[in-house]
Amino acid sequence: MRKYLIRRLLQIIPVIFIITFVVFVLVYMAGDPVALMLPEDASEADREALRAALGLNDPFIVQYFRFLLDLGQGNFGTSFRYNQDALPLVLERLPATFELAVASMVVAIMMSIPLGIYSARKRNSFVDLFITGGSVLGKAMPNFWLGIILILLFAVNIQFFPVSGRGSLLHLVLPAITLGTGVAAEMTRLIRSSMLEILGQDYMRTAKSKGVNNGRLIYKHAFRNSLIPVVTIMGLQVSQLVSGALITESVFAWPGLGQLLVQAVNGRDMAVVQASVFVIAILVIVINLLTDIVYRLLDPRINYS
Amino acid sequence: MQANAESKSELNINDKIAKSKNQSTTIRGLKLLLQSKTGTIGFIIVICVVLVAIFAGVLAPHDPALNNLTATLKPPAWLDGGSWNYVLGTDNLGRDVLSRIIVGTRVSLLVGVFSVVLAGLIGLIIGIVAGYYGGIVDNILMRLVDSFLAIPSILFILVVLAVFEPSLLVLIIVIGLTNWVTYARIVRGEVLSIKEREYVKASKSIGTKSSEIMLVHVLPNIVSSFIVISALSVATTIILEASLSFLGLGIQPPDVSWGAMLTDGRNYLATNWWLATFPGLAITITVLGIIFLGDWLRDVLDPKTQVNQKGGAK
Amino acid sequence: MKICYKLLLVVSIVTFLFVTGCSNQSSGEGNQNQGGEDSSTLVIAQSADLTTMDPQNSLSTNGERVFRNMFSRLFYWDQNMEIQPDAVAEYEQIDDVTWKFTLKEGITFHNGDPLTAEDVKFSLERVMNDQTLKEFPYFKQLKEVNVLDDLNVEIITDGPMPTLLKVLAKSGSDILPKDYFEEVGLEEFQKNPIGSGPYKYVEWVHDDRVVLEPYKDYFGDAPKWENVEVRSITESSTRVGELLTGGVDIATDIPPNEWERVDGDESVELVTGDTTRVMLLVMRTTEGAVTSDPKVRKAIDLAIDQQAIVDSLLKGTGVPVRSRVPEGVFGSNPDLYDSYVYDVEKAKDLLAEAGYEDGVEIKLTAPKGRYPLDGEVAQLIASMLGKVGITVNLELLESSAFLDVYNSNSNKEMIMIGLADGLFDASYSLVHYTKDRAKGQTDYYNKEVEQLYNDAGRNLDEEERLEQYKRIQEIVAEERPHIFLYQQGMNYGVSEDINFKPRLDAVFLFDDITTK
Repeated sequence: MRKYLIRRLLQIIPVIFIITFVVFVLVYMAGDPVALMLPEDASEADREALRAALGLNDPFIVQYFRFLLDLGQGNFGTSFRYNQDALPLVLERLPATFELAVASMVVAIMMSIPLGIYSARKRNSFVDLFITGGSVLGKAMPNFWLGIILILLFAVNIQFFPVSGRGSLLHLVLPAITLGTGVAAEMTRLIRSSMLEILGQDYMRTAKSKGVNNGRLIYKHAFRNSLIPVVTIMGLQVSQLVSGALITESVFAWPGLGQLLVQAVNGRDMAVVQASVFVIAILVIVINLLTDIVYRLLDPRINYS
Repeated sequence: MQANAESKSELNINDKIAKSKNQSTTIRGLKLLLQSKTGTIGFIIVICVVLVAIFAGVLAPHDPALNNLTATLKPPAWLDGGSWNYVLGTDNLGRDVLSRIIVGTRVSLLVGVFSVVLAGLIGLIIGIVAGYYGGIVDNILMRLVDSFLAIPSILFILVVLAVFEPSLLVLIIVIGLTNWVTYARIVRGEVLSIKEREYVKASKSIGTKSSEIMLVHVLPNIVSSFIVISALSVATTIILEASLSFLGLGIQPPDVSWGAMLTDGRNYLATNWWLATFPGLAITITVLGIIFLGDWLRDVLDPKTQVNQKGGAK
Repeated sequence: MKICYKLLLVVSIVTFLFVTGCSNQSSGEGNQNQGGEDSSTLVIAQSADLTTMDPQNSLSTNGERVFRNMFSRLFYWDQNMEIQPDAVAEYEQIDDVTWKFTLKEGITFHNGDPLTAEDVKFSLERVMNDQTLKEFPYFKQLKEVNVLDDLNVEIITDGPMPTLLKVLAKSGSDILPKDYFEEVGLEEFQKNPIGSGPYKYVEWVHDDRVVLEPYKDYFGDAPKWENVEVRSITESSTRVGELLTGGVDIATDIPPNEWERVDGDESVELVTGDTTRVMLLVMRTTEGAVTSDPKVRKAIDLAIDQQAIVDSLLKGTGVPVRSRVPEGVFGSNPDLYDSYVYDVEKAKDLLAEAGYEDGVEIKLTAPKGRYPLDGEVAQLIASMLGKVGITVNLELLESSAFLDVYNSNSNKEMIMIGLADGLFDASYSLVHYTKDRAKGQTDYYNKEVEQLYNDAGRNLDEEERLEQYKRIQEIVAEERPHIFLYQQGMNYGVSEDINFKPRLDAVFLFDDITTK
């Protein structure tokens, strides 16, 4: 186990290096942020002056090495738009996005586990078809569309939830459902199929023939074993959650990383794009590592090589 | 019990496979398909959508880009104020929603299918190279895979589209470039296991070219998982295109896609619901069809599932 | 099964507790969120957040709406868009280039420091000299700022500057507290900005809200609102949703498709105001381009039905114009305001005369999502031009890609853009028709325009200056280096409890907004 961990940790280093390079190249190619900082009719001389002042006229290699050097000191540079250090800007958004992600994970778990188990037990029944259809629907609905519908229904027509913003627990409900539905759909399908697989295995039939009570059987054997792939996919879902957060946060005016990032990309705010991609990548790597470890603990059959 | 009836029908299928060995593959496939409710539904939907995409030009009653300022925001025909001239109503420029959906089918499918083909090709090459050569090459390529896994794909696409103006071709390439990772991992795993087999070692020892070995032995083993994953990818790509449209980076007018229609229509949800509802339905139905078909393909093609299903029968 | 649900319950309770823990720090504001219904709290929802708390580096209406109420300036634009003294008690012009200003006594910053001539000098010199500040280009003509004594300051301009007072009233001329700013630095200043305006900074949660409270020792009339929140809600249907449910008092940038919803609701009303932004087509007159032929440009203008665009797409909230200088901006030519030319037959004739009776292909580049309904307008124009035989090769670009094309002058025959006037003076708008500025973009040159523009820029005789600008616009309307479409309106959704009158600069003075 320790050997495995060390190897995984060592692998992270080149990955991070590749990520910084790829992102730097892309952002560099994205071109001139100056145009977006000045009004439409600023003159070329105005733009040139600002460009020079920001050090954007230096050659690629100079800019990249300056970037790496700064990075070594934990400095991602200054956000053009905010005129502040980029990293704190990114970090201050993490709690809001984290809160939303955790809440949607809860929504997803609460929806998918009962639905997945139920539809596996009643395989090919009408209910199963209904749940399967529903989960496809959940997958097929783009986030922004679901979010707007939810606002119209539950915040504007029935004024039960607040329309937007972050604050109380009530503020969290609609965005969490919006973001959680896609994940729930994915997980329902997965739980269903892994339950089916386990229900069909020899030991389940043995247990059943021994007269073990059906409900207990489902819980003790099938459910627990079907959790293994669910844990794996939870790790993979992190990046899907981040993608969804980009859109959900815009719809609900949620002050998280997603909104920061969309605006940074649109405004070509290099430093913020770099810092957020970097932070998100590290988070994804760490969470995947953790789920891998949990996965290995849950399923002792897997060896660590 | 439900499960019993179920397994009987599975047995039946397997029987039929055995019996129909002499029949042509197409007929056998069709027969197999009809055994599954969802598979049939999925198959029919996908065929219909593909036909619509191919014959879009003939099927569309109007020019999808034609403005008509005297007939803006007309509701669907069956509502007050609607006309059968515009069956699904018109948008804020007076363009026919039905025609736009029909023509949009083409773009949505093109993006979905070709980006997946591209991703599959890249994944195939990288997976084979990594698995076959192993060592440092494998290490480098797998770190590349890890890097791509660590950056959420929409984020990568977002940054790339900030560099290149979004067009059909650019979208296909960019989405393809971000989605190859899954394929690469599957191929690599398969290559690693095949490499050690005796017959591969044998053909290597008699001097067969390594590329040839890989293609001949690896390809047949990965076809089934490729098809299943690809089906799902086409579905997710169609939705991804919609999300990119929302962020302003999808297909640009005058081209039209379902995602772009949904994005424009979202602003009218409270007042002119049909603008977003019909493209939304088109996406949902298509994705439903593809997923049903994909699930069925998995059940049929994946030997593992079949063994389990057999095991489940008493 | 039972145990399974128990487990679920435990998991969800734990997680919810955890999540609540996360949100504790902000739950306080959550309660204030209902403040839209509270008569002493003003909640405004904008379509984008501020990007900075540095008023000299913002250059956006969204920022100006906050800064205008947080900082004082030497002058300000009142509700009727007339210039009034703000921190200035009296002023005089000593000679062509020298002005003397006397500050009001007893003005203090929010930290209690008195506002003196030193602060004015510091603030203006900062924006005059620091090229990285976005407001810098507007202040280039200021040459020197000299402190005469605590309350008297002298400004020397580079040549006669008829627009000086306007510059001193515009965004970026905000007076910063020199001592505080120098002590804490820019980074800290942005975390706790200090001005001398009627409202002072409480907090700014990025992409969420800016919260302000009244400054009790404000030198002018006592501030009226107990609490002001400026929220950022990018998605328009969400912004309208907040308005309809009473979450906000005023929502800006309501797109036409939402008007029915706003109008149809008893508790809110739709208020439309003018802006200085004019949508126009930049025409390439460069030798070799199809549009270098004045007949082609005229044909294009005649083929476009500006009134139809305004009526159908913008539902009447826009004014067809034939000049970049709309009413309300100094130098506006009333003959060219609320006016357009449209004649399809004549357009066809002109094209035939120019040798294109069999049609011609022209490229139009336009933004999508930068201005209200911009993409739709461009598509409509394309189809209007199609009717006279011009095949439009339409390129719609997302904001930043669009600006790349515009700024790199890589536009082909036509590019559609909306240009605003931050100075409310034609000198700002009409610079586009001078040889230097037009180079590479329209490549327009007219000797008379050049002469008139240069003369007017140094002309302290306001009446003569006005005539010079009017004449330039007449020439431009005839020669068409720009083809003008319409003056863009700004639409606000306003709660029925609120008295609100929109301004041409789309900025709010919070104390001009009152409850009914």
